[in-house]
Amino acid sequence: MADVEAARRALEEALGRSEVLSDPLALRLYARDASLVEGGCALVTFPRRLPDVVACVRIAGEHGLPIVPRGSGTGLAGGSTPIGDALVVVTSKMTDLIEVRPADRLAWVEPGLANLDLANALRPYGFTYAPDPSSQQTSSIGGNVSTNAGGPHCLAYGVTSNHVLALEVVLPDGTIERLGSEGPEAAGYDLRAVMVGSEGTLGVVAAVCVRLTPLPPAVRTMLLDFETVAECAATVSAIIASGVVPAAVEMMDNGIVVAAERFAHAGYPTDAAAILIVEVDGTEAAVEEQATTVESAASANGVRTIRVAADEAERALIWKGRKSAFGAVAQIAPHYHLHDCVVPRSKLVDVLAGVYDIAERHDLIVTNVFHAGDGNLHPLLSFDRTVPGTLERVLAASEEIVRLCVDAGGALSGEHGIGLEKRDFMPLVFTAEDLSAQACVRSAFDPDGRMNPLKVLPDGARCGDFAMARGDDAARAAAELPEGAWL
Amino acid sequence: MLVVGGGQHLDKGNPSHVDGELWTTQLDALVAYEPAEMIAVVEAGMRVGTLRSLLADGGQEWPADAPDAATVGGLVASSASSPRRLKFGPLRDTVLEAEVVTGDGRFVRSGARTVKNVAGYDVHKLLSGSLGTLGVIAQVALKVGPLPQRRRTLRFRGDLTMATALLDAVPAAAGIIATPDGVELRLEGWTAEVDEQSRAARDVAEPVDEADDAPFPKSSLWDDAPVVAEVAVTPSRLGDVVEGERWSALVGVGIAWVGLDHAGPPLDTLRRRVREAGGIAPVIRGPGGLGDDRIPAPEVQRRLKAAFDPNGVLAPGRGWGGV
Repeated sequence: MADVEAARRALEEALGRSEVLSDPLALRLYARDASLVEGGCALVTFPRRLPDVVACVRIAGEHGLPIVPRGSGTGLAGGSTPIGDALVVVTSKMTDLIEVRPADRLAWVEPGLANLDLANALRPYGFTYAPDPSSQQTSSIGGNVSTNAGGPHCLAYGVTSNHVLALEVVLPDGTIERLGSEGPEAAGYDLRAVMVGSEGTLGVVAAVCVRLTPLPPAVRTMLLDFETVAECAATVSAIIASGVVPAAVEMMDNGIVVAAERFAHAGYPTDAAAILIVEVDGTEAAVEEQATTVESAASANGVRTIRVAADEAERALIWKGRKSAFGAVAQIAPHYHLHDCVVPRSKLVDVLAGVYDIAERHDLIVTNVFHAGDGNLHPLLSFDRTVPGTLERVLAASEEIVRLCVDAGGALSGEHGIGLEKRDFMPLVFTAEDLSAQACVRSAFDPDGRMNPLKVLPDGARCGDFAMARGDDAARAAAELPEGAWL
Repeated sequence: MLVVGGGQHLDKGNPSHVDGELWTTQLDALVAYEPAEMIAVVEAGMRVGTLRSLLADGGQEWPADAPDAATVGGLVASSASSPRRLKFGPLRDTVLEAEVVTGDGRFVRSGARTVKNVAGYDVHKLLSGSLGTLGVIAQVALKVGPLPQRRRTLRFRGDLTMATALLDAVPAAAGIIATPDGVELRLEGWTAEVDEQSRAARDVAEPVDEADDAPFPKSSLWDDAPVVAEVAVTPSRLGDVVEGERWSALVGVGIAWVGLDHAGPPLDTLRRRVREAGGIAPVIRGPGGLGDDRIPAPEVQRRLKAAFDPNGVLAPGRGWGGV
């Protein structure tokens, strides 16, 4: 039984009264992330330094409050949506760039630092931080770590896991550990790797040692437009088949191009069936080679126009359209549900056709953005949730989309994580044995189940327990939410 | 039981009493390979040499650079470093999915055959560097990449200082190895790109030698040392830890292989220097074990071991911290 009052007093004493919120408005604001689900919480705290984080974890543990870490709250799967009497530990006041060490190509940062702020801070040193999710203006490094965030540049550069050298974490029992190492290898099992992508369920990340990526000497950004989706997809395949791995290959369908253009005025052709943003980087010669190959592949597959960004300003504008796409769809309808699935690149066209079909059958508007290089599809359903019956259609369509992608041989989530949203779909891709092993990992870190309960693993997944006997056909008709959460 | 692949890194690990060995070398099938997906799924016993040929047919490679007899599973389990790690990163980052048999005979799959995946806990990542103590790696999906058009090695006189100057001057080098005998710079890419990089290198110093398609490294001075330690420190500290006449250092990465005459005082001295530099120095050939560095979150590590190998069948005591 959670003793919220006692916890509040203890937290106020440890962190200072101004860093502990318990008023109804605050609790309501922090009861949700950027997904559709709203939960509830009992207290919200804002640690400013490592001892504060330790205090939050210890006090919550002592008083029976579940702990839900939160960065900027831009998560799309309900990973930082609290449930019940949770303590939400918000890292948004821990935003220091602690140190930059160019000779070792690493930097230590506090978890609340925004991704783009980090990248910008590194530029004067000649470096960047490679993972660049679309949310990067707001999303925090700690949040990126918890979802193993991706972004357009992950095809060539890798995902967050490849760029996190070490983590300073507060474990659920309140102890502080450094996982991983500044150097290339660490002693023991790779706990760092498991912490990345663990969605706030294994501990609270208090500092992150990131890998610095040298800024490439040259970069070229191209906008290609096509009269059919098939030709666009075929171009992507042709580029990869020719041995070029572009820094980014982003595909946008007509619906999202129109919305993005209306907002960003990037010069996107609004009559194209699909467009590709292809960015290549490296040495001058490498850029030349890659760009030539891209243009040949496109020409061989019916490209209509190829526009090459003439300067940094134009490059930024082309990317602005892409990166603001998810906000731009607000023009279509007030609410959206953004999907995240990965399929083999070769299945791209079929899956996209399937997505359009699903949307049509449920009478919903769908637009699509694709990290085409790595098969990560983001169908975006636009709707007005105040219209009765809409949310049900959205959830039904969503489940079909997930099944479509899994059936095509894909992964359940490319970058947003499982959170609450896809928890009950896990049996679609993992056996009871697999989930039991995952539960073992979780309970190794958190034997008392204090961290972010009800996330990631479906009910019944237990370490060493073969009671999880659900199998493929046990996934429910709609994402079942735990008690206390509502849409 | 000791899990054995190609037998290249059997000495890496703390002493462990085993009653028998499980050889993975007959688990060597190519399960799936589609060059367009840039992913190869192979059974763990596949030899690196075999994999190289298979992937070369698709114009691709897995940049492991290990002896032909090494197995894929062995490289993953021993956390081996490729000489081209500067460009390609650690091998563990190329493991997208793994099928594993636990110490109590359960079959577990983790990850996905896609480049991006965040679904649940990455159990497969725990297997990297686990030295066969958590489970038997049966099969892996590997991220592979295109073979370069041109491969060139330039050799220079000089030491770590020269190597660091080259690291700073040459963009996107595939690898830079410093030894007491000089520095080898590896460039890979399109011909025009490699030419451009060569020019940047020549702005630093004139090479003594240049060759296309040569093995990289040309030779390893520590190859016949009775004891070899694999040092890992932050790259800027390499100068503080390499000693003697038989070592190679991966500049910009922080890995160095140091050959020693025996495991006693020379190894202790080396480990002391490495510890001061904040790194580790497990032995990969000969006696000496992993070193007694503290492992992070030892309780978590022990629970993981207990969960995946409840009966303590898989090389008990071999792992870090005697886990």
